[in-house]
Amino acid sequence: MQKQILYAVAFLVLVMLQIFLLDNIALGLYFHPLIYTAFIIMLPLDLKHIWVMLLAALMGLTIDLLTGMGGLNVIASTAIGFMRPMLLNAAVGHNTATDDTMPALHRLQAKNLAWYIILMVVVHSLLYFLLETLSLNNLHHTLLRLAVSDIAACVMIWYLVKLFTEKIIIK
Amino acid sequence: MYKLIEFIRRIYVVLLFILIEAIALNYYARSSFYTQAKILAHANSVTGALQQSIFSLRHYFTLRSENEMLAQRVAELENTLTIYREQERQTQTDTLTMAAMDSTMLASLSQYRYTTARVISNTINSSHNFITLNRGRQHGVLVDMAVVTPDGAMVGYVLECSERYSIVMPMLNTEFRTSGKISGDEHFGSISWDGTSPHRVQMSELTKYSEFEIGDEVIASGLSQYFPEGVRIGYVESLKENENHTSYDVEIRLAADMTRLSNVILIENTNYTEIYELENAARSSH
Repeated sequence: MQKQILYAVAFLVLVMLQIFLLDNIALGLYFHPLIYTAFIIMLPLDLKHIWVMLLAALMGLTIDLLTGMGGLNVIASTAIGFMRPMLLNAAVGHNTATDDTMPALHRLQAKNLAWYIILMVVVHSLLYFLLETLSLNNLHHTLLRLAVSDIAACVMIWYLVKLFTEKIIIK
Repeated sequence: MYKLIEFIRRIYVVLLFILIEAIALNYYARSSFYTQAKILAHANSVTGALQQSIFSLRHYFTLRSENEMLAQRVAELENTLTIYREQERQTQTDTLTMAAMDSTMLASLSQYRYTTARVISNTINSSHNFITLNRGRQHGVLVDMAVVTPDGAMVGYVLECSERYSIVMPMLNTEFRTSGKISGDEHFGSISWDGTSPHRVQMSELTKYSEFEIGDEVIASGLSQYFPEGVRIGYVESLKENENHTSYDVEIRLAADMTRLSNVILIENTNYTEIYELENAARSSH
């Protein structure tokens, strides 16, 4: 029960960070880290696939409604919600993630956790930025945006996930 | 049997995934900058207050440079005013010309109405950026008003208003279009943004008969419905011929620093409103 409340609070905090802070930092065209994906990343690993996807869609919808992006965030975040088990397997490998009696993010090794975060962030932002420009005309420009934003996003999400799983969930 | 149930369970997630993505893609494909601005205007009734307080905090740090700019602007206007006062004193000797001037001057003055607003949200990191202002319908802001910086550089135009907030289509939106010309030259070109730099816009279709140099000022042509003629856009940075060698493509360095806007001036073209209402009336009577 308490866990659900903690996740709800994390949801709200991440939405607010994204909308009020990161979208308002005018550091230039190339800086657009999408950190709300941290919520999808830090969902419990034993949570049912369908719930992961629905919560991811809900997160996307919330961001869409607040920024006026017509469905773009829903498309990208539902996709990583759906692909999470596969990406997790790719990053962690079968035995560590699923055979554990109590799957949890903090049990992952740092290297595995980092790969998992990077995969989720890159897939999400690749969909987001390509659909946003809807052209391959300025591809080098889009790729530069992707690189700058994703490095920033990965670093921020790394600390957010650490903070959430190690300091808040386990007390 | 168990395998079948398991298979359906797997398929069920996939089906739901396809359904959500189909709805979202369909909606995204139909959405335009106009629907986006409508959603934003609604969202602002929820998030506006918080946006505003965050932006006032940021605004605090730009106060000094802003004050300097305003002081400079006041001095400039002070100068112009003295010239007008001088002229007025001269014409006052002749009451007949004064009466004649009054009516013509009032008519020309009333074409534009000015109000001010503060930027409370401004994105520059997307290809479809928007600006939110803390003034809306109840403060007299109307759709299609021009938005300029306090020193008269072009920012954008009002796309959508709610009661207390309004959404601006800035130059830094790939859907933005207006018409511009080189100061002192009557040929005009089409201004748009290619989405690559927050400090540059592009002018295309400028005829090769146009004469200008690097560094020349680019201003609004007055052909656009939004901006009064002469609103500053920026300066010519570089030019090249287009693919057919029929016209110039010009890179323009923006006069307004779009990355740090705080106070803006809104200009309503009352003539335009009148023309627009007239056109609407004509349309609805048929």
